[in-house]
Amino acid sequence: MTTFLKHSYAIAKNTFKEGVRDKIFYGIVAFAFVFITFTIFLGSISLGENIHIIRSIGLACIYLFGLLSTIFLGVSLIYKELERRTLYFILSKPIARGELVVGKFAGLLASIGVSLAGMLAVYLGVVWYEGGGFDALAILAVWYELLELALLTALTIFFSTFSRPLASIIYAIIFLYVGHSLGLLVSYAARSGGFLVYVSKALYYVLPNLDKFAIRDTIIYSSAPTLFGVVWVMVYALLYTGLLLWLSSRLLAKREL
Amino acid sequence: MISVADVTKEINGRVVVDGLNLRIKKGTVFGFLGPNGAGKTTTIKMLVGLNKPDAGAVTIDGKAPSEASAREQIGFMPEAPYFYEHLTGLEFLTFCSELFTKHRASQDEIDELLKKVGIFEARNQKITTYSKGMKQRLGFAQALVNDPEYIFLDEPLDGLDPIGRRALKVIIGELKRAGKTIFFNSHILFDTEELCDEIGILHQGSLLFSGPINEFTRGKSLEEQFVAAIESLTDAEDAQDDTQ
Repeated sequence: MTTFLKHSYAIAKNTFKEGVRDKIFYGIVAFAFVFITFTIFLGSISLGENIHIIRSIGLACIYLFGLLSTIFLGVSLIYKELERRTLYFILSKPIARGELVVGKFAGLLASIGVSLAGMLAVYLGVVWYEGGGFDALAILAVWYELLELALLTALTIFFSTFSRPLASIIYAIIFLYVGHSLGLLVSYAARSGGFLVYVSKALYYVLPNLDKFAIRDTIIYSSAPTLFGVVWVMVYALLYTGLLLWLSSRLLAKREL
Repeated sequence: MISVADVTKEINGRVVVDGLNLRIKKGTVFGFLGPNGAGKTTTIKMLVGLNKPDAGAVTIDGKAPSEASAREQIGFMPEAPYFYEHLTGLEFLTFCSELFTKHRASQDEIDELLKKVGIFEARNQKITTYSKGMKQRLGFAQALVNDPEYIFLDEPLDGLDPIGRRALKVIIGELKRAGKTIFFNSHILFDTEELCDEIGILHQGSLLFSGPINEFTRGKSLEEQFVAAIESLTDAEDAQDDTQ
């Protein structure tokens, strides 16, 4: 293992421990409670086609709880360390700022991943219990959700290198909204024509296109993406996340401690 | 050798360190003194690679501490440290040790270090349950986890009770006998006098004195001479302001 990986792994392990012990799993408990309560409610009103709704709400809830953990933990990840000066311990050791950023990212993503896996297990259990069988495609949908949350984790880390948590939350929500509206933006601009077409195209390629990760609705009706589609989305997430982490480490390197 | 050559550092438009020059030989225990806001912590941050000078150069054995590899031989204890409170003391030290490549402490070495600073019994407790003194000891332990040649301590004796202070002073004495170079900022002049071979005095970012402690004290106590030196400067500055 190279020094970079060893150092990043040590930081990731530490961040994971902190994340796991810092109430992140309350999200799973909250998810289980909301989801199971909803399912019981749905069962009690005896709708005939309830399994589609259960799957739809379940996957949306996993996304929502994962998103909340990502935004709230991500925006304070570096900021909190700067404020509390715990970074002094790390950065006075032979650690490059890039190793710190990658380590913090990987540790937080691992905690979010474990949290998603926990929620997925509850989801699969409930869907199976309700007669939907083993929902294998849901695993793919949650994998896509994890890829989106990886990109958002990198984005929130990027914001947390230069802004306060509240401002970072606002930026993250704006990017989240815009990132899921880029397709619409391009089609509206195409109808208007002129200069707006170029602006919308530029935004489409520069900003993170989060719609690529939203496959929940197609999955619910048992339509799986192609292998090429899956690989392409993974490459997109990897490249965008890598770029954001690189920018974060450059910003952190310039920052006075 | 620690070398600080013509170092200047500005923070938020204010010159915090102004043309600082220091040369500290290997094996020296060096006390860095000065009133609040003199620039001591800013200097120590540049020495351990947390910040870079705006002008001039800081080197340790010829290497700039801003290079990650140069920090293999450095130990640093920040002032009033905050910790990862969900970790135990043992986990924290293990984590710190894993950040080094050349000298990674073994489990036995970490246990030994925890015994040395007197928190071995509390090693498996979360840091959030530690008292201020225990946290200070843990902060000291992490600065030694890589068996560094150069140890930088920012107000290491703050917040410790007399027994804790004695214990840390004993360890500093042992480190000195082992040939380590120790650089520390302190407000506690009595302890500085007891521990140091040399001192540096900083006032408003400029070095007033650097050299053997007895050259500065000239038969008086360090506190007496230090207060007299700072007061005479403050009086002179006030007089200059009045004439302007």
